[in-house]
Amino acid sequence: MPSSKNLVLIVDDSKVQCKVLSALLEEDNYRVIVANDGATGVEMFITHQPDLVLMDVNMPIMNGYEATRRIKAMSGVGNLAPLMFITSMGSDESFINCVEAGGDSILVRPFSSAVFKAKIKALQRISDLVEQVKSLQHEQKNDAELAEKMMSEVIESRNYGLDRIGIIKKPAALFSGDIQLSALCPNGNIHVLLGDFTGHGLRSSIGAIPITETFRVMTKKGFSISDIIMQINSQLYTLLPGDLFFAAGFACISEHEKSAYVLNAGLPDAYLFNEQADIKHQFSSKHPPLGILPEILSDVQLDIINIHPHDRLVFLTDGIIEARNQEGEYFGSQRFETAVKEGVIEGDIAKNIQKKLADFCKNTEQEDDISLVDIPCCSWVNNNDITVISSNLSDELSELDNSLSIPLAWSYHLHLTGKLLKNTNPIPLVMNQINDLEGAGEHWQSLYTILTELFVNALDHGVLKLDSALKNSPEGFSSYFNERTQRLNLLQENKQGNAHEDFVRISLQYYPLFQGGKMLIKIKDSGVGFNVLKVIKTNSQLLNTGMSLSGRGINIVDQLCDTLEYQEDGTLVIASYIWRNKQVLD
Amino acid sequence: MTVYSKISEDGKQLTISIEERFDFSLHQQFRAAYHDNVTPDLTYILDLSKTDYMDSSALGMILLLKDHVQLHTGTLIIDKPNDTVNKILEIAQFHRLMTIT
Repeated sequence: MPSSKNLVLIVDDSKVQCKVLSALLEEDNYRVIVANDGATGVEMFITHQPDLVLMDVNMPIMNGYEATRRIKAMSGVGNLAPLMFITSMGSDESFINCVEAGGDSILVRPFSSAVFKAKIKALQRISDLVEQVKSLQHEQKNDAELAEKMMSEVIESRNYGLDRIGIIKKPAALFSGDIQLSALCPNGNIHVLLGDFTGHGLRSSIGAIPITETFRVMTKKGFSISDIIMQINSQLYTLLPGDLFFAAGFACISEHEKSAYVLNAGLPDAYLFNEQADIKHQFSSKHPPLGILPEILSDVQLDIINIHPHDRLVFLTDGIIEARNQEGEYFGSQRFETAVKEGVIEGDIAKNIQKKLADFCKNTEQEDDISLVDIPCCSWVNNNDITVISSNLSDELSELDNSLSIPLAWSYHLHLTGKLLKNTNPIPLVMNQINDLEGAGEHWQSLYTILTELFVNALDHGVLKLDSALKNSPEGFSSYFNERTQRLNLLQENKQGNAHEDFVRISLQYYPLFQGGKMLIKIKDSGVGFNVLKVIKTNSQLLNTGMSLSGRGINIVDQLCDTLEYQEDGTLVIASYIWRNKQVLD
Repeated sequence: MTVYSKISEDGKQLTISIEERFDFSLHQQFRAAYHDNVTPDLTYILDLSKTDYMDSSALGMILLLKDHVQLHTGTLIIDKPNDTVNKILEIAQFHRLMTIT
């Protein structure tokens, strides 16, 4: 028994028949409307949207087959009603015709009222199912739209430097299995990720949110791109089912080092183009997609490449290379490279590739998510990102500092030796402590830079005894980095029985000031030290003539710090950093 | 049917061959080709010599097969992929995970 009064449309030219059927239906609590020919039946179907339709075959103006075809042709998700033919022609042929025309059932006269009611009951079941499907579909559509909106809110809108990165993002379904992320490191480097989950649609975009959070938070805290890759991999390994994985390209662009660090794990070749769109380097996939192996393969290294300010780094997913035209031909890397070249000339790589893809594929249905990121290699750090305290202000604060004896709020010491120096980046650790103690603040960005530069100097030149002159050629940075890795490995092996222990000691002392604070930083290393005066003099001369590729780090630190001095033959550096609270500046 | 499976006469080798496109539509058939086989120490040969195209969900399906093989202490060999298919395996660096001949 239907709970609410369901509506039945009877289409029959015999008024007697209509009366009989109506009476039976009303006994079962149905409302009934009647049409006496096919054409009127179709009209009434449109205006009344009945739940069930009963259809005679032979009628004037339009017969039952034609009326059924028309009704079924306009039945979409919103207005699907089961339709039953009622006829006195019991032949196989008429049965087949009824089904062909779109009928869901057939009842051959004569029939008893019990059989009729049973048939209606069966049809009602179909109608209920249709109703259920309709409301589920509606709900799912709403949910999907909401989720999609949230997803793009969380993922894309918080990316860094959106105005400067060229992006293509064309999902094959409502949800994209591709994600594009960019974030600024505390030291002004930029981290970029382009990733492609297996498949597309909701199933494949579900992993995007945890990855986005990890990528942003770790970048912000100052973790290196390799730390982030390792973390994302183990996260996905735990999260994803066995057949789902994440092909991704990662890059850290360091303007300061004039280098890019790249890992391609399962994407088609990534490219570094110069200003003329010549290919300077191709980064082929070096590692299986993430989420397959519990840990990143230990022998896989980041590609390190020297960059020029006008270079562009381009990552793309297989959706571009494997896009097909009507003839089943692939777009391919040749067409892609040509399209980039034209794009560079026209000043917009992403736009031109999209145009060329559309021309190529014409009206063929898009099979996979298509995405690309095009990242310029320069001008990431603008002056607003680094807060340099004006000298007047710091003088004033130093005076304050000297005249009154300010009490020490806390101090923090970290002593790293041998193996730990190789495996640990202590700076995020230290910054976390500071954030926990003193809360977050923009002024920590400069402190981060100071600590990183001073720590790296102590480790590289002090403990590892690397000469920055190695960096003094355009290709130098890579060889410097290789040498560094080798020496770090030696650190670990020599650990035991080494009379001279390798270490770096970081100590921080924090003095709260009236409208800000002062951090006294001391970093001591186990190295032999250096001729402080000579190095600083040479450095500044080289910097002034623009010849040096090294020494920029210490120059920045000098600008950021209130005082900076070397003691104990250069094995101890003491820096003091003073800041004022932001709201006071404004 | 484009997925064929065959056990060798000595019962030590299961060969699964895929014809034409290896994509998500073969999910059920592909799984059925090995799932009920729990014989230990079996050599599984995935014959891709007649496969023209493979998408990333096929890679996922191969990973599931690999899990199954490992569970039953078997060996997995990907056999004779053509250039197109090999390129896809190469991008995904699957030779780091399994034997490809």
